[in-house]
Parts: sequence; C-alpha cells; structure tokens
Amino acid sequence: MAEIRAEEQTLAISKTFLIKPKLKPKARTLPQTPESKYWSSFKSTQIPNLISSISSLSFSPSPPHPFAAAYSASVSLFSPLSLSDGDVSPSSTISSFSDVVSSISFRSDGLLLAASDLSGLVQVFDVKSRTPLRRLRSHTRPVRFVKYPVLDKLHLLSGGDDAVVKFWDVAGESVVLDLMGHKDYVRCGDCSPVSPDLFVTGSYDHTVKVWDVRVEDSRSVLEVNHGKPVEDVIYLPSGGLIATAGGNSVKIWDLIGGGRMVHSMESHNKTVTSICVGRIRKENCGDESMEDRILSVGLDGYMKVFDYGNMKVTHSMRFPAPLMSVGFSPDCRTRVIGTSNGIIFAGRRKGKENVESGGGGNVLGFESISEPERRGLRPTYFRYFHRGQSEKPVEGDYLVMRNKKVKLAEHDKLLKKFRHKDALVSVLNKKNRENVVAVMEELVTRKKLLKCVSNLDADELGLLLTFLSKNATMPRYSSLLMGLTEKVIEMRAEDIRSSDPLKGHIRNLKRSIEEELRIQHSLQEIQGIISPLLRIAGRR
Amino acid sequence: MMMRGGRSLVSSPPAFSNDAKKLLVCTSNTVSVFSTATGLQITSLEGHTALVTSVVVVPPSSPAAKVLCYCWTASLDGTIRYWDFSVPELMKTIDIRVPIFNMVIPSFLDIPAEDKGKHRDLFAYVFTEDTKETQEKTKALRRQIRKCNLSKSRLVGRLILGETKKPEVLTVSPSGKFFGIRNKCKLRIWKVPDQGSEHAAVRKITLHHTKKITVIAFHPTQRVIAAGDVTGRILTWRGFGNIAFAGNNGVEKQKLINIQEDKPGVRDNDDADSCTTWHWHSAEVNVLSFSSDGAYLYSGGKEGVLVVWQLDTGKKKFLPRIGSPLLYFIDSPDPTLSAISCADNQIHLLKMPSMGILKTISGIKTPCCCPEMCKGLGNGIAFDQTAGLVALRTENYCIQFYSLFDDRGISEVQVCERNHQPGDDVTVIVTAVALSVDGSLMSTSEVKLAEEGIGGLVCLKFWQAGSQNKEFSLSTIVYEPHRDAGISAVTFHPSGNMVVSSSFGGDFKIWRCNNDIIQSDQMHQNFSWTCHAVGSYKKRPMTAAAFSADGSVLAVAAETLITLWNPYKNVLLAVLGDTLTPIVNLSFLGKSDNLAAASCGSNPQLSVWSMSKLSLSWSYKLRIEAVASAVDSSSFAALALLPESSSETTFKGRDGVILLYNATNPVPTAIWSVKKAMGGALGFLQVNPSSVEEVDGKTPEVLLAYMNGDHEYVVFDPYCKDAHEVSISQKEGLSALELKGQGGQYGYASIYGELPEFSEKRPETPWVPSFPSERPWETIFSGSSHNLPPLTNLCSAFLESLLEKRTAAVE
Repeated sequence: MAEIRAEEQTLAISKTFLIKPKLKPKARTLPQTPESKYWSSFKSTQIPNLISSISSLSFSPSPPHPFAAAYSASVSLFSPLSLSDGDVSPSSTISSFSDVVSSISFRSDGLLLAASDLSGLVQVFDVKSRTPLRRLRSHTRPVRFVKYPVLDKLHLLSGGDDAVVKFWDVAGESVVLDLMGHKDYVRCGDCSPVSPDLFVTGSYDHTVKVWDVRVEDSRSVLEVNHGKPVEDVIYLPSGGLIATAGGNSVKIWDLIGGGRMVHSMESHNKTVTSICVGRIRKENCGDESMEDRILSVGLDGYMKVFDYGNMKVTHSMRFPAPLMSVGFSPDCRTRVIGTSNGIIFAGRRKGKENVESGGGGNVLGFESISEPERRGLRPTYFRYFHRGQSEKPVEGDYLVMRNKKVKLAEHDKLLKKFRHKDALVSVLNKKNRENVVAVMEELVTRKKLLKCVSNLDADELGLLLTFLSKNATMPRYSSLLMGLTEKVIEMRAEDIRSSDPLKGHIRNLKRSIEEELRIQHSLQEIQGIISPLLRIAGRR
Repeated sequence: MMMRGGRSLVSSPPAFSNDAKKLLVCTSNTVSVFSTATGLQITSLEGHTALVTSVVVVPPSSPAAKVLCYCWTASLDGTIRYWDFSVPELMKTIDIRVPIFNMVIPSFLDIPAEDKGKHRDLFAYVFTEDTKETQEKTKALRRQIRKCNLSKSRLVGRLILGETKKPEVLTVSPSGKFFGIRNKCKLRIWKVPDQGSEHAAVRKITLHHTKKITVIAFHPTQRVIAAGDVTGRILTWRGFGNIAFAGNNGVEKQKLINIQEDKPGVRDNDDADSCTTWHWHSAEVNVLSFSSDGAYLYSGGKEGVLVVWQLDTGKKKFLPRIGSPLLYFIDSPDPTLSAISCADNQIHLLKMPSMGILKTISGIKTPCCCPEMCKGLGNGIAFDQTAGLVALRTENYCIQFYSLFDDRGISEVQVCERNHQPGDDVTVIVTAVALSVDGSLMSTSEVKLAEEGIGGLVCLKFWQAGSQNKEFSLSTIVYEPHRDAGISAVTFHPSGNMVVSSSFGGDFKIWRCNNDIIQSDQMHQNFSWTCHAVGSYKKRPMTAAAFSADGSVLAVAAETLITLWNPYKNVLLAVLGDTLTPIVNLSFLGKSDNLAAASCGSNPQLSVWSMSKLSLSWSYKLRIEAVASAVDSSSFAALALLPESSSETTFKGRDGVILLYNATNPVPTAIWSVKKAMGGALGFLQVNPSSVEEVDGKTPEVLLAYMNGDHEYVVFDPYCKDAHEVSISQKEGLSALELKGQGGQYGYASIYGELPEFSEKRPETPWVPSFPSERPWETIFSGSSHNLPPLTNLCSAFLESLLEKRTAAVE
C-alpha cells in the first residue's frame, strides 16, 4: 500500500495566483482577413517628384519585371529590385517625346516598349538602348492607348481621339487594319490573353467593342454598353470575361455568353480611372493556389480589390491623392499606383527571390560533401550521457507530465512576501501599465494601496506621478487612477511642494488633465448636437 | 424517504484506524468511516442520539492485532459505546447519564495481553457536566473531569479530578502516562496511576503562563509539553513534573534542592526544568502536535498555515495558504500519512514529508460571513435540479458543488483568482450564483470593495461546464456590468441562452449567449455572452428578477413594483404593484400563471400575483427567507422566519417554518417547523430514479431540499406522507434533527397568530395530521379512512415498527 501511495499524484494544497491585468474585450470580428493581410503586406514606398500625373504604368513580362511609368513627355523605367532596397530613382528615362505620353506597353518578351503620345505618334523603343526603333504615324488626333498583343510579337494596337482603332504591322511601320465603329474618343483597349486575333477597345461613346482581325469587313464582333464613358477595359486571364471601368463603376462582362453583364461593382465614389488584374496567393490545405482579383483605382483616392469569383470587394486602401493608373507585376510581388500629382506609390512584397537565381544556387551546391558516417556513442564521450533525452514520444506512449512551473514576475514574488511597496515600485519600473494597474488593484483588495503611497520616498513618488500623468486620463484606467491621483496629491502635498522634480510631474499631470477636459468639452458639444437628432429619429 | 446531510466533519478530532486505511470522523450523531485511499465514506456507526464528541481507536496490543478495528465513542447523550467499525457493529454501551464533552483513554498501553489471565480494568477519563448539584454549587464550576471504569461500565465513585467553568479538551500523552487540560492561563497535568485500581491517587501539577492557553500537546517519549496561547506563542516545558511525579518519598528533599537550581523561563516555581517560547503565529494557536518520533512539532492557527518546527533547533518549515483556520492535526500510524481538519469543513489527507494533498474529504462548506452592505442579496445558494447538486459560495472565493444525494463535495470552481487569508478583512465577495436549468452553465457576480473610495469593482462572470466532466471554465467576464452599481439578482432563462442581471443602479440587462460551435476539434463549444438589451423603470433600483417557465415573460422587481417584460424584444408588458416594502425575491410558480414575490423590511410580505388577471391573488405578512417552486407543478414552498416571541414559546427554539402552498390556494398544504432558518435555502429537486430508493414501489415525483443557516440539509418528499413517517421510524437514529418534524411537524395550529387573514379557513385544511413518535402504531392508523394507505402497506409498516422496537429493547 505504501508503495502505491508513493506513486500517487499529490496536489499542492496552496495554489499560487499570478497578478494578472484585467482581460481586454475581444473583437467580435477578426481585425484582418487573410486577404487584407496579404494586400497590406506590400511594403509601400513613394516615388515622388515626377512631373504631372502618371498616365500609364506597365510591367515588363520578363523577370525581374521592371516597370515603366509614363508622365508628362517622358517615360521612366524602374527596377523593382532597387525599390526593395529603398532606391526610388529611375533606372533609365526616355524623353524623346514631343508631347505628353498617354500610354505605354511592353512586348511579351520585355525587349521592346511601345509608347503613344498626344501628338498622334506611336513609337517603339528598345528597352535597353532607349532608341526609338520605329515611329508609327497615322493617327490624326492624340493617341490614347497602345497595346502589344499578348501572344503576338509583330503587331501593335492603338486608338485615339480620332475614334479609329488601328492594327499595326510594326516592322513595316504600316497600318494593317483601320477599325471604324466608335463614335467618340477611343480611350482604352486590351488584347485577348488566349487568342492573338481578338481584342477589345473602350470609348467615350459608352461602348466597348470586341474586334477580330480575321473578320473581313473590319466590323466589331460584339459590342457592350457600359453606360458611362469607358476609362479602362481589360481582359480577365480566362479570356472569356472582360472588365470595364467607367464612371463610378467597374462592370464584368461575359463575352462567350454574348456580352452579358455578370456584375457591376460600384464601391468607388468618383470615376474609376484604371483597372488591372492582381493575383493573390492562397494556401488551402497546404497547396498553394493563385486567385485573380481586379484592382481598381479611382479619383477618390481608393484602391479596391475585387474578388470577381465571389463578387465581393475584399480590400480597399486609401491614398492621399486622386489615382490615375495601376499596375501589378506578373510575379505578384510589386504593385504600383500612379497619382495625378506625380507620385507613384509602389508596394513591394517580401518573398522568395526568383526561381532562376535559386537554380543557380543549386548548381553551386551540387558538389556538397556527403554526410559523414554516424559513429555510435561511447561512454568516453560526453554526449553518451545525454543520449535519448531529446527523444520525442511515440504515439501510444504513456506520458507522465511534469507539473508546469508557474513563472512568477518580480512583483508577484514581492506580493507573496507582503512587501507591498516594493512590489509597486518594481512594477512601476517595468513600464507595463496594465501590470501596474493590476498590482494597484491587488493592493486595493489588500487595503494596502494608500499605505504604500504614504511610504514612497521622493524618487518613487516621482515614478508614480509620471505614471499617473501618463495614464490617469485613459478611459480604461481612469476610474481607479483618477481617484488615486487625488489621494496621492492630498497625502503627499508636503513632499511635492518641497521638491522641484515632483512639481514638474504635477505640471505634466495638470496639462494632461486640461487636455482631457478639453476633449470632454468638445465631446459634450457633439453630444448636444447629436442628441436632439437621435430624439427625432427615435420618435419615428 | 428522507435524506439528511451536510453535517460538520470537524466538530471533534478524527481518528485513524490502526492500519491507517480508515479515518473515523465524528459527524453529529454518527461516526462516519472514510477510506483514506479514496476519500469516500465506507460506512457509519449509528446509535448515539446526540452529538458524538470523542472517538478513540483501540491501539493494537501486538503487531498482529493491527487489523482489529475497535473504537470507543462518547457522546453528549451520556453514553460511551464500543464498536467494531469494520463490520460495523455495536459491541457495548455504557450509560453514565451525564453529557460527555470529551473522553480520553490513556491506559491502553498498560493493559497486559488478555491471555495472561490477569484481567485489569480499563479506565477512561471523561469530561462531563454535573447535572445534579446545580442548587448547592455555584454555577461556575459545573464541568468535571471524572474517571470511568469502562470494564465495569460505570463512573468511579465520587472521584472528581477537577472542575472548570467550560468544557475543555482533555489531551493525553502518546505514552499514556499523563493527561492534561488547559484552564485559562494554567496547565493542569495529571499522572495516570500505574495500577489499574479504581481509587488510586491521581497526582497532578500545574504550570503557569501569563496568557490564556488554547491548546496543549505532549511529547511522545520525553517529559516535554508544548502549549499554544491566544497571542500565538508556543511554550515548551521540558522535564515537567520531575519532582511531583518522581517518587513517593523524595518529594520534600528534591524540592529543597531545586529551589537553588536555575530554571530558565519557568514561572512561579513550577515543576519543570525549563520553558522556551517560540513566536510565529499572529493569532491564537489551534493546532499543536508532536510528530511520532518527537523530532518535530506541528502548529497551526487561524491564519491557515501549518508550521513544522524542528524541536532541537527551532527551524521552521511552512505549508502556507491552506485557506481556512486549522482545527486539528492528526498523525496516522502510517508515517507517510496525516490529516488536517480545517474550519471550512474539509479534512485534507496529507502525504507526509512533502505535505501534498492526497485526498480531501470534503464536507459542505460553512456559510461565509459577508459585511453588512452585502446582506440581503440572497444567500448565494443555487440548486441544480436535475443532478441534485447545490452550488454554494465559499469563503475562499469558490463555488462549491455539493451532491445532496451523495452527501459529499463534487467540485469547486475558483471564481476569483485569489488566495483566501482567514484573518484578513473581506474585500472580495461573491455575491450571487445562478445555474441554468440543465446545470451546464453558471453565472456568478462578485464585488471588490473599494479602499477609501478607490478601486471598487463589480464583475459578472459566465461559466460553462465541460461536456463530460462538471468542471466549469470561464467563458466571459463583464467588468462593471451596471457601471458601479451592485448586482441584485442573476437569473437564467429556462432555455439557458439568456441571462438577466438586475442592479441597484436602476437598470437590468439581458445577456445573450453566442455559441459558435467549432466542429473541427471535438465539438468544442465556445460560449460568449453579450449584452442584448438594457431596461429600466423610472430609474428605480431593480431588486429581483425571474423568468417564467416558458421563458416568454421576464419579471423584474423595481423595489415595490413588479415590471413584466418581453425578454426578446425588450418591451414593457405590464406593471404590477404595489407592495409595502421592496421585493427581494421573485419566482414564477411552475407552469401556472402565478408569480410569488417576497419582500422584506419592516413590513415583510409574501404575495402571489396572478398573471392572467394582473392582480394580487393573496398575500401573507410573513418574513420570507427563501422561495422555491417546482418546475412542473404549481405548488411552491416558502421558508418563513418566525418572530422571536412565538419561536421561543410554541416552537421550542425553532425559528422557521417551511410552508408548502398550492399557487391558487392560500391555505398551505403542509407545514414543517425548522431550526436555524436564518440564511436557509429551499430548492425542489427532480427525481432521478436511480439515485433515490423506491418507497412502496413508487418513486416520489419531486423532492424538496431544505438547507439551514449552517448548511445542514434535509431532502424529503413533500407530498408523500405515509412514506415519510415510515422511513423516519427506520432512520431515527440517524437524525441530525435540523428538521424537527417528529413532534410538532404538522403543528400548524401554533401559527394561527401569524396568519390572521385566513384564520377562519384554517379548519378546512385538507391534509391529515400524523405524528410519528416513539410508538408508530399509535399514529399509523390515525386520520380519515380515505386517506389511509392500502392495508398491505400499512401492515408491513406496522409490523416493521414493532420489530424495530423489540430489537431496541433487547439492547
């Protein structure tokens, strides 16, 4: 019997309770959805001091995905790698334009860049040498957009204020097709990601037309009416859907279904100026999947992320200026937003460096030495005596748990020894105000707080007064601390009068109280305004 | 059927059996035998008819005799009984006809083995009350120490060893050579005479101290005695009685020599070599005990810390934060086991060198005292109707769950994470506890008192029980639910997902439970409570709240008015009023459309309101302590306090009555008079067929539990009268008699003065009075014929009562 009893678990008769701060209310909804976490993980850097508004942004399809920004009569190229180092100067600038650049587009291999300007000229540049290789002149009015097809390296699409959409043969600097049909300025267009022959254009005549170069008589295949002047149009990656932006709304259309509107997103307050496709990495049950989103920016300064699978706005972000253009890099690591006052908000996400460079690392690490043979441990070796201690339990093993040791903070230990003043001083030194308040509350329940206050020496009293001046007006603690402040001043008036640093603390305290009083006054004013309104609303 | 329980386990020191596997605990009229391995009750020794004051286990005369289980018990009923507690069986009864406050049997060790043929008498020293000579003697000295010859079953002649004013505790030395008492500032020690003869002269010495001595202990081997006093000092006299107890002739000579000798610390030329003092305890010492080898001294007192002193060096070891004043420390024959009894009715079995708790024998916790400002908030007792549990708040900021059917503590929930210091002022009080109908949810409220106006806090806490075990875990804390106003009542909605808390600050809040069940990890339910609605009525303090049985109506008492609300939409439905004084208790009466309200103060009142007519049905001028209504039927029970004048004369010290009413009828269907009703509680319990023995082949529908101010309780069937009296006659010996039903149980006539309004209706009361008494056959057949039970039942009860009487007579 005695042996069995020896193995019995005994409970400690005395429980030790830590002095814990009061619990905080838990938010009923999560503060951040995983999605908004993703979008806020883009570390924002500003690229300032560009002249006038950023009319267009384009990412190179080839890694490391540099992007070009068109502003005023120049185009600047930026490297995202230098962005993450905090370098915001452009890597190169093309300024051989006679007028304001309206639109730019990279070819699918990222070697050529097409740019259109308001003089009606479309130029094709070599990205590296920055020399204009071709000048395409046919538009009679300002060109508003230029676009390289996704799957085609030889042709180019452009449209302008002459309401004509032109399909160019770049090499010969000649127009292949003049596509008539729009009745107002053509402002935007996009090429299908799945077919080299299909593209859409949007115009201020409220319509978006789908063109097919294979159609004989140069007429549009399909036409949808957005209802407002169309500012931007994009193909969604499937090639079957397009999104159009115009007025306050972004609309999604099903082209395969004959131009049916799928959804209209109307959460912007002002005109939506630009949209692009963003991608989000989702991790479901271990495997990663990419989901596409529509990023839209508007003159109201908001960027919205729209999930067109669930037809929901999943994130929105505010910027301090009207936004003109948006771009998202194909590797999902950079998103740039151009404003009307010459600032680019570039966001870059941390992530794995490119796969290519990783491959290079493999080549280097190929000749690594094979692991040495493991020798059996001998009692001559120190580790012999520690062997097996870090062994993890196998499933089915019977675990004998050791009682967790309660970790006592310094003030806990002092309170256990009934050294109340020392506990208060120690927790005041620790600068954690929740713990300070918790210790004060514990002292109140022991009816020792005022005794502690009366026993503090000058330095410690200064500590206490600093704490009070900082926290007495905080609503969470004010019920306790205001009363305490009053008592402290009342009890220690003599000491405070005789010491200059303490007087300084009292001045700070007074200042914070006055501040609080001001806030209360203004709040009461607001309440005075609101309460009749509420009364009226309640009467209905 | 009738169950009693909630008795004090700590009225007298317990005793270990010789193999340390059993612990004998005096529980009012019985001695309960607990297993030390499991902490559960094995059996009980029933026979005494008054409080058992001492239990002495017969030590083994040889190692082989360790298995023998014999003990002597002494009781206030004037008998000493000898038991074999393994069976259990009563072996012998000695009736000395005077109440025994204490008994020691020092001379077990002197008894030679029986087989030697020379049989010597066994003597006990008993502390009795002198009942006869009250006239001649001064009243002061009526308690006497006398010697009792247990072998011959009588007190020894006129031998009176000592007399004191109050009954004191006799302490015997482990060697059996000395015994002593404390008497104010003096210690009296007697030497047990060597011979077992009756009139051998008993020699005594007296040791003096300047403070009142509270407890004494003898060293097991040496002539050392330790005593604790009211100031917390521990005095140790070494070599006491060297002169007086030395021999017969040398007394005079040694005294002469010793006068010159240096005797440090010894006062008044006392008969001791030296006296040393230790002082650690801040309040009086209640526990003092030497370890069995004599190397250590255990001491404890009001502050709830067990101190282990190394006797030679005076070094201390502590077992702190026990949480309750210590009363007794008992060493067991097994060196690894000992027991401490605490004032909160718990006996902890300690594993000895490490002093960890092996098991706790948990009695019902004593009511906690709370300061004046929190009185009248209800008594903090909630009944779990389905499981037969009662939840009580305890002094160490816990809620104790106590099984009424099993008579043992089930679990404790720590409401405030604090250690209780028995000596300190009460600054944190658990004011209310409420249980949902199914017992899976609990809500508590607590108040932290402010220190000179700063730092006061009111908390409302919601708890949920785990799915399998009854362990409650905290789900939500609400700080200052009604700003700084105190909570007057907390009540659960019948469905369990709604709670109303009313406050003296003039509003009530309805809290709703949002339970998001997380399916993935084994159905873990996560409850969170949020405020659903706030209501107030003319800024009046809200004093009580109750939900109707279907949960569609919420009644909240706004002082003297009753406001009725729709709890879902928070719409005021109706206002009932007025009572004369503020209502403290509201209760819907089962499924009926009646509401009972009890108000206290100068004009106490019990009123029943009809919900269909929105008017007062009937009312009494009674001071109501508690109201309980059965869930299914329309009857309800009220515990009324009697005015002091009537309780002295007609009720023989009983100060309360339980009245059982039908809601529609102002005439009570039954009345029981009870003791210690102040602070009592009532609760109806649903009957779980497995837990309740069947009576006459049928189980009672519902049981009524009454708990008195000392937390002793009785559970009985309020409707079944025949079964009631039969089982009383069976269990008469057990009775703790907090419910003195035997004589005046249906003595409703004596309450006439209380109920003037309906006095003319009295004679029509439908029930039949019956008086279970010493001779049940006289009362079994009384009453009208249609109310008699079937003949078969009567016959067996009748015969049984006859049989019982015979056997008692034989003894």
